[in-house]
Amino acid sequence: MRQEQFVALHAKEWDALRKWLEQLDRQPKAAMSAERALDFPQSYRHVCHHLSLAQARGYSREVTDRLQQIVLMGHRQLYRPPAPRWHKLAMFLVADFPRLVRQQWRYMLVALLLLYLPAVIAYALILWKPALAHSLFTTRELADFDKMYDPANGHIGRSSGTDLQMFGFYIMNNVSIAFRTFASGLLLGVGAIYVLAANGVIIGGVAGHLNAIGYGAPFWRFVVGHSGFELTAIVIAGGAGLQFGLSLLAPGRLRREVALRRAAWIGARLAMGAFAMLIAAAFIEAYWSSIAALPDLVKYGSGAGIWLLVLWWLLRGGAGGKHAA
Amino acid sequence: MLDTVREIETPEGVSLRLRAAGAFGRAQAWLLDTLLRAVVFFVGLGIFSALGRGGVGLGLLLLFVLMWVYNVICEVWFHGQTIGKRALGLRVVNADGTPITLLPSVVRNLLRVVDALPGIYGVGLIMSIIDPSARRIGDIVAGTMVIHAEELPAGSRVPVAPALPLPLPLDQDEQAALIEFAERSSQLTPQRQEELANILYPLTGREGSAAIVQITAYANGLLGRP
Repeated sequence: MRQEQFVALHAKEWDALRKWLEQLDRQPKAAMSAERALDFPQSYRHVCHHLSLAQARGYSREVTDRLQQIVLMGHRQLYRPPAPRWHKLAMFLVADFPRLVRQQWRYMLVALLLLYLPAVIAYALILWKPALAHSLFTTRELADFDKMYDPANGHIGRSSGTDLQMFGFYIMNNVSIAFRTFASGLLLGVGAIYVLAANGVIIGGVAGHLNAIGYGAPFWRFVVGHSGFELTAIVIAGGAGLQFGLSLLAPGRLRREVALRRAAWIGARLAMGAFAMLIAAAFIEAYWSSIAALPDLVKYGSGAGIWLLVLWWLLRGGAGGKHAA
Repeated sequence: MLDTVREIETPEGVSLRLRAAGAFGRAQAWLLDTLLRAVVFFVGLGIFSALGRGGVGLGLLLLFVLMWVYNVICEVWFHGQTIGKRALGLRVVNADGTPITLLPSVVRNLLRVVDALPGIYGVGLIMSIIDPSARRIGDIVAGTMVIHAEELPAGSRVPVAPALPLPLPLDQDEQAALIEFAERSSQLTPQRQEELANILYPLTGREGSAAIVQITAYANGLLGRP
């Protein structure tokens, strides 16, 4: 068949498909409800077939470019991802995320030790020799801590600022740390190790210092509520970073690029779970932990409840049930 | 064929041509996005500060969204284009040419942390110069690439001249070579143009500048011009 005949025979179909695809970009709803939408996969494949024919028969670029463009537009629509669903998000939080954490338990264990060992050591050292706090923090920082956890303070854990202000601060600060911990794991895991250990030393140091000067009670009353979500989320983000870095260092039987990609997908899902946990932690920290007037029983009781909830969720979530992998 | 063009075979058995976007265009898009986000942040801060100290918290939340969430939302829900990319005609796609999904987008944007080292995208710049498809580390790990969204109709820069039909049928690659010669010969010295055109003596039957005119005429014919 000559090129002119070929074009004359099919141009109408090409133009119709192109017009519909252009409409789909501008007014998706109207285009999807049009009758043409039903024919789309079929007419797209027709055009693909015509393109192959045109290429095989050596038709000129005028025709092949015209078809190529329609194919490009159609490909983008036919293979677009399904719209995200709330149900999927809920399933991720309830089942998939805890399962993923358990699946990566080795990295989680290492991250846990990297955070808590330095914390315990710093805590014990400062209790033993309170003056050591001065080699860890500047005098100004220490004065700030003293002010934040002064038993006479109406709001614990902050020197000034409203609940909303602190909520914004916790989100910005903590989630950024978690995301950076994961991403900097790419540097052979060094970034993740550093963030975990440094945070451990600081947390342990603050705890040791406040206990040493007798402000222990307000400190523990403050942190017991949100620490379940916050510390665990940092451990998970750290573990995600560690497995990411290790996939580069020891890719096993895979090529480095493939191993890295696989680890990044696991890590990104862990980081998103940690993100959700840190939002919960920021809410608790800003609106609940800071209330000084509650009795010890309520403070420690709710804190223990939250810790148990987090552990139960991570250890049992998604286990059994009909969706179990 | 240009070396930044990637051919992707679709399940229908035809190949798509993706033109990778280089570091310069992407840097411009990023700069535009950054300026825009800075403006939004300061305007937002101005509005929130009317709410007193709680407004600072809202400002920080806004900053968080602009820093970490903006790119992902734009890429996943607006056809792989942030506002800057849209202005520059760029688009993020999966390496197989399909639209980008949530997880790859999260990965490539989280890894900006590494690409942005030290300071202003040093690692990302060097990687996108080394990589044949101009991908930064985030793109390589996420399996994505940034492409020019609008496919330039090939041959749009061929100088207009009266068209001539080809004396004998040529296959796809040969046609492409003719069109690309016509497109780019103006970038070469006249001597080199003639040297290349002379190779086609069996086709054109001419030599020297007459051969160049003849090839341009064929290219016009192939592009369907009158």
